Amino acid sequence: MTKNVIDGQDLKHLTEAGLVWLRTNQQVVNSYNVFPVPDGDTGTNMVLTMQSAYDEVSDSAERNVGKMAQAIAHGALMGARGNSGVILSQIWRGFARSLDSSDLLDVPMLVHALGTARDTAYKGVVRPVEGTILTVTKDIATAAETACHKDGDNQSDLISLLECVIEAADISVQHTPELLPVLKSAGVVDSGGKGLFYILEGMLRHVQGLPLEGVSTVQALGSMKMDEHIMSMVEEGQDYEIVLDFRPYDSLNLEDFYSSLETMGTSIQLGEGDGMYRLHIHVPADKRYEPIDYAISLGSVTKIAIENLSVQVDDKQKTSDSGKMSLAFVEPGQIASVAVVPGPGIARVFASLGVAALVDGGQTMNPSTQEILLAFENLPTEKIMIFPNNKNIILAAQTAASLTVKKVAVIPSRSVPQGLSAMLHWQPDGDFDSLKDEMTSALTDILSGEITIATRSIDLNGVPIKEGEVIGLLNGDLVVSSSDLQETCLNLLAYAKAENYELITLFYGLDISKQQAYQIADAVRFKYNNQEVEVQDGGQPHYHFIIGIE
Amino acid sequence: MTNGEENPIGSILVSPRAIATIAWYAALQSYGVVGLAPKNIADGIAKTLVKDPTLGVDVNYDGNKIDIDLYIIIEYGTRIKSVANSVAGTVRFQVEKCLGIPVNSVNVHVQGLRVSDPD
Repeated sequence: MTKNVIDGQDLKHLTEAGLVWLRTNQQVVNSYNVFPVPDGDTGTNMVLTMQSAYDEVSDSAERNVGKMAQAIAHGALMGARGNSGVILSQIWRGFARSLDSSDLLDVPMLVHALGTARDTAYKGVVRPVEGTILTVTKDIATAAETACHKDGDNQSDLISLLECVIEAADISVQHTPELLPVLKSAGVVDSGGKGLFYILEGMLRHVQGLPLEGVSTVQALGSMKMDEHIMSMVEEGQDYEIVLDFRPYDSLNLEDFYSSLETMGTSIQLGEGDGMYRLHIHVPADKRYEPIDYAISLGSVTKIAIENLSVQVDDKQKTSDSGKMSLAFVEPGQIASVAVVPGPGIARVFASLGVAALVDGGQTMNPSTQEILLAFENLPTEKIMIFPNNKNIILAAQTAASLTVKKVAVIPSRSVPQGLSAMLHWQPDGDFDSLKDEMTSALTDILSGEITIATRSIDLNGVPIKEGEVIGLLNGDLVVSSSDLQETCLNLLAYAKAENYELITLFYGLDISKQQAYQIADAVRFKYNNQEVEVQDGGQPHYHFIIGIE
Repeated sequence: MTNGEENPIGSILVSPRAIATIAWYAALQSYGVVGLAPKNIADGIAKTLVKDPTLGVDVNYDGNKIDIDLYIIIEYGTRIKSVANSVAGTVRFQVEKCLGIPVNSVNVHVQGLRVSDPD
């Protein structure tokens, strides 16, 4: 099959294919990360960026390939997450600019576009580091210009060019450890480069009619931990999770291996390292021994772990509040509130105070400007107030405010308790400006406490804190630390002089159980018998407790 | 002011300038950052005359906490928030890794955008 030109719709489908295949291999890309990336994992970031790019055009019927590319690039920019996401958005930007408003894309244009994509990507940094996604971008542009272009018979065939480009990308990715020593010592290739490779490979697979989902490629063994759960979603009918290590007698035919496993269960993941394979699979109860027997028939099995999945799910359901949550109904002319929330319990509390829309802060409390914008754009009123509830989100909220014609005020809450304190003053029919002032000054009416685990050992004011200790923060400053959760909570309250206040509210998070939370609350009540103590299921990640003192 | 970390032979003192140099280098390696800018004219003139490589980086170190302010130029067309977050994280990581001293804050001031290709 040859194809000499593609149009906007073709580009759209190729983009989708790149996104889906990247998502299928997301964890593999994440596993290649070597730096402690504060903004998330490379694979996840690139998926989010590609998702945003595709969402921009998913409903579009645009046939003009240049205009389609512009839209995709715009989507990528809006949703760019993390370093790799930003570079990816730059690649799209350069690509789109080269296409301009051309109707169709042919081989010479594609070659030129890859060059422009490379140039735009490199312009974004003063000291480019080689052995990264930038190098891969450079190598594929070079390959397209030289090797691929002079391919004789297939000079005008886009598919041949794509095949050639992907081969060059693969070689470039494999070469990255030679350029970046830290990759070599970690035994991995560059994650961003690998992500780009998957996007391109997905496009080729789409053209070749190969599947884009469900088929997992083999990942680095080191990234698959025996006791960590790889999949958080449990499908219907799956009762047990089996993880086993085995060394096959003969070399493994992966296609046959996967097909056999697919008759037994789902969520199949395979890791490989030094000839040893680690298999992960979810199976129904009646098939729980099949993967084990199958692996034994193929080689020597060294380790097996079986876990009952339905018990896990039950536990989760028991602790989550089954009450329905309803958001405030907004009438035109009223003031609507939008809150960013880290967990479902906290979401519920904001809803009960009259919030009209919620934005999920997610694992890293890092919602994009787009997400915040979407939360209020469709509300039937012009007057909006946003509560970021985290100091890192204030800027995104302000950016969202600047991108809309609506009248938006950002109430700069730096924590959940501050946001709640301000929301107590909210009135849907009040005067916008005086309400804004009132709520802003209410932010400091409350003290905010956070309890979490120290992720690294540091020295604070001469006091050494060891990784793994329980630390307490007051209004964002680390003030107390100990090895015991209850002790840290009580110390934090003592430091804050809680005895001078009236109400202590404890929101417990995902990392502790309801029983533990209630136990600690009782200890707090005992010590502070003149204060009112409330416990709520916040459901937030990372922070064992978010505490409000007022 | 400098920190006095005691070791058997003597003490190790790290100057804010050394910290600034590490931060400067890390910032320039961050994607999206295409330059570091003076925070005001006086600062700019002073540092340019002396050919100070730490232009655009302010470090406050009282021996306990490190606070870093970066004044950067970002490439137009990139997602500014993502770039700023990345720079802050990279600078923090590099400084902490090189010196073993925790960083209290990294504040990113976007002083301007460089337009390479107007869209």
